[in-house]
Amino acid sequence: MNFTKDLIDDLASKLLFELSDEENKMVLDEFEEIERNMNLINDIGDICKIEPLTHPFPLESTVLREDDEVFELRQEEVLQNAQDKNLTSVIVPKVVGE
Amino acid sequence: MRSEILSLQEKMKKKEITAQEVLKSTLVSVHENQEKCNSFVTILEDAKVNENGGILQGIPYALKDNFSTRGILTTGSSNTLKNYVPVYDATVYEKLKQAGAICVGKTVLDEFGLGGTGTTGHTGVVKNPWDESRQAGGSSAGSAAVVASGAVPFAIGSDTGDSVRKPAAYCGIVGYKPTYGMISRYGLFPFASSLDHVGVLTRSVMDAAIVVDAIKGLDDKDMTSFDSSSIHLAENLQNGKLDSKKLFYIKEIADISSYENPSEELKDALSLFQKTLEQAKEVGFEVYEESMDETLLAAIPSTYTCISCAEATSNLSNLTGIIFGPRGESRNITDMMVEHRTKGFSPLIKRRLIIGSYVLQKENQEKYFLNAQRVRHLIVDKMNDFFEKYDALILPCSSGGAKPLEGELEVLNKSSMILENHMVIGNFGGYPSITIPNGLVNGLPVGVNLTSKIKSDASLLKMASLLEEKMDIHYELGGKSL
Repeated sequence: MNFTKDLIDDLASKLLFELSDEENKMVLDEFEEIERNMNLINDIGDICKIEPLTHPFPLESTVLREDDEVFELRQEEVLQNAQDKNLTSVIVPKVVGE
Repeated sequence: MRSEILSLQEKMKKKEITAQEVLKSTLVSVHENQEKCNSFVTILEDAKVNENGGILQGIPYALKDNFSTRGILTTGSSNTLKNYVPVYDATVYEKLKQAGAICVGKTVLDEFGLGGTGTTGHTGVVKNPWDESRQAGGSSAGSAAVVASGAVPFAIGSDTGDSVRKPAAYCGIVGYKPTYGMISRYGLFPFASSLDHVGVLTRSVMDAAIVVDAIKGLDDKDMTSFDSSSIHLAENLQNGKLDSKKLFYIKEIADISSYENPSEELKDALSLFQKTLEQAKEVGFEVYEESMDETLLAAIPSTYTCISCAEATSNLSNLTGIIFGPRGESRNITDMMVEHRTKGFSPLIKRRLIIGSYVLQKENQEKYFLNAQRVRHLIVDKMNDFFEKYDALILPCSSGGAKPLEGELEVLNKSSMILENHMVIGNFGGYPSITIPNGLVNGLPVGVNLTSKIKSDASLLKMASLLEEKMDIHYELGGKSL
């Protein structure tokens, strides 16, 4: 893979952040080595038929539970963390029509 | 059996000291530690003794700052949450309150746990109490430094790769991560959900057992938690017996002959490990050497990198600055989020997230992300086979003592890369895993790690305790006997 400044910027923009030139250089300078190391995974041989492991071991608990209300957030507490708010809502910028 | 928690409680029971006096003196020590090591994001000056009367009554502790505490600043050591005050308590915090423990502060971590150095928190680097020019290790850096300094008998950490067990080794204390799901993660800021564990840092195995007894258990708020009510760690340490004591180590990681041109430090670390094995044999352990395919071993660090970085991109996507956190000033909502994340994340966390973004690209998913999960499966299968024959894996935690603060950042191309990263095996399989101090290398503490099959926590701690007793290590640090 030919790593470029633009590729690194694109990967960052997909995660909704930007990189300074210095940050981009830090990642770019070592990305070939990062990929070389990641390719050690592919040295193992034919593993395509192995089931990818998504959790350490099968989970016992069920995802279903009684539909009881067990906890609710207090409005005033939630709002205290928002920078822009009125009495009952978080005020966000206009998201359509611009 | 050594336990500072029990001896402190005994003193309180005999009225030699009151809980109020313990708390007052702890806060003084906490400030001394902060001055020296920068372990805390927040010190809770107004901490109060509660009278809940549980098994940790009157015991002060420190909590990693990625556990949600209602009404108390919780930052994840990130600028993205530098002013965030949670509206709910983590289950661990709630259980500790019920048990009578007193939280005296929130400790510094590598930003959201994504680091192993203790140098990327937004309030500055954490210094090792043994040598302030060295790292405390991470990500539970502040928790390790404050326990090692003697200020509190225990601290809570989280462990996604080795984030409790590695800093414990570097600071000369005990670090224990129970079986995946034994402690609820509700209220722990997630990093990589399939690998994240809650863990404890203490100065004895018994204290680790007592604390985990208090915080473990099924929790409706965490679907990965399980019922461990039949597991009694402290009681088993005192009265339990081991049916079998078979340890194994992996030659390719622990034998000096596996390394070309080993450094003097590595030679010393592995020689100390051999001494520990001899001590284990003296207390009745059988020790076996096993071998693992070198290609599979070499893939361990990268398997961790691919899985953890990919999961982190998803878990950190809620950090937008809209509902909480400092908001960007742009008028457009997307730009607002970009500004929040650009200013909020440190360069090293961005680096890891970019790796996550890369392995999740459509053209890379099969090759890196899914293959990493497949390799994880192979490693876990191999370990489960070992655990059919043996009671625990024993390995050194590192190639030497804590690394200098000045020096290279995370690099993956060292010859001791597998030795430095093998403890992620405990996270891949959700195995219980404990680090205990086994001596000094170049004047700095190092640790030995024991890992066993899932839900065998009680016997793992019993084994660790036998070894702890045999090694009988008592460090003197800052005038305090640990």
